[in-house]
Amino acid sequence: MIASWLWRRWFGILTLKALVALAVFGLVVAPPDSEQGDAARLLYVHVPAAWIAYLAFFVTALASALYLWPRTRNDSWDHLAGASAEFGVLCTGLTLFLGSVWGKPIWGTWWQWEARLTTTAVLLFLYLGYLALRRLGGVSSQRRNAIAALIAFIDVPIVHFSVSWWTSLHQQGSVFNDKMDVTINDGRMAFTLWLGAGAFTLLFAWCCLGRMRLLGIESKNSELELEAAIAQRTGVPS
Amino acid sequence: MDHNWGYVAVGYVGTLAVLGTYCAVLISKLRKAPTEKHEQR
Repeated sequence: MIASWLWRRWFGILTLKALVALAVFGLVVAPPDSEQGDAARLLYVHVPAAWIAYLAFFVTALASALYLWPRTRNDSWDHLAGASAEFGVLCTGLTLFLGSVWGKPIWGTWWQWEARLTTTAVLLFLYLGYLALRRLGGVSSQRRNAIAALIAFIDVPIVHFSVSWWTSLHQQGSVFNDKMDVTINDGRMAFTLWLGAGAFTLLFAWCCLGRMRLLGIESKNSELELEAAIAQRTGVPS
Repeated sequence: MDHNWGYVAVGYVGTLAVLGTYCAVLISKLRKAPTEKHEQR
């Protein structure tokens, strides 16, 4: 128990340090972009948030598939799916917010109903719906939630490839282009972006572990409450 | 000074507020949650 507490604390401190380093590199060390000026600093958070949203929804889909598979069915997969989706929604919201704040000085508008932005907004609402569904409970709710998570994941590749499939105001890949050639030449800019990806991955892992633990406790408590209610009604102690 | 710094500040402070609130709520709930030792009892 002490080892687990120390590990969680050590991991939390490492995550915090990575996020502080990201803020320092993003705001001070990285140079302003030759075309976008200082507004490009928003991309050091916007791009990692979008990447981690993809990762979180992938983890949700994978955990849901593992829950549905009879041989690997375990409540922990359901808890991981829920915890990961929650962080994914947070990151998708941040992606839209930061993109909008970046878009005003660079595009001249807060919002445009174009392919990437619209599909990302749909993604946010899909997973908000998934989280709402999780709260409904009921018989076979975990199975129903897992199927919903797999359906919602269909939008992730659509969001990613929307800039290639349709005419879009949003630029192509921020780090790699269609030919997978790196498009960032400045070492400090590239490092800051990778630092952002690392810091957000650590935060995702830390939040997921904590949230999974809480979901486990909530699930155990509701089972105990149900057993107590049955015992009270039938008069037979469980 | 680049006038875009205002947007940068809004973006970074907004991100800090969102992530900070989420983590603070999570930590608070984890602290209130029963420990494994309590659960065994």
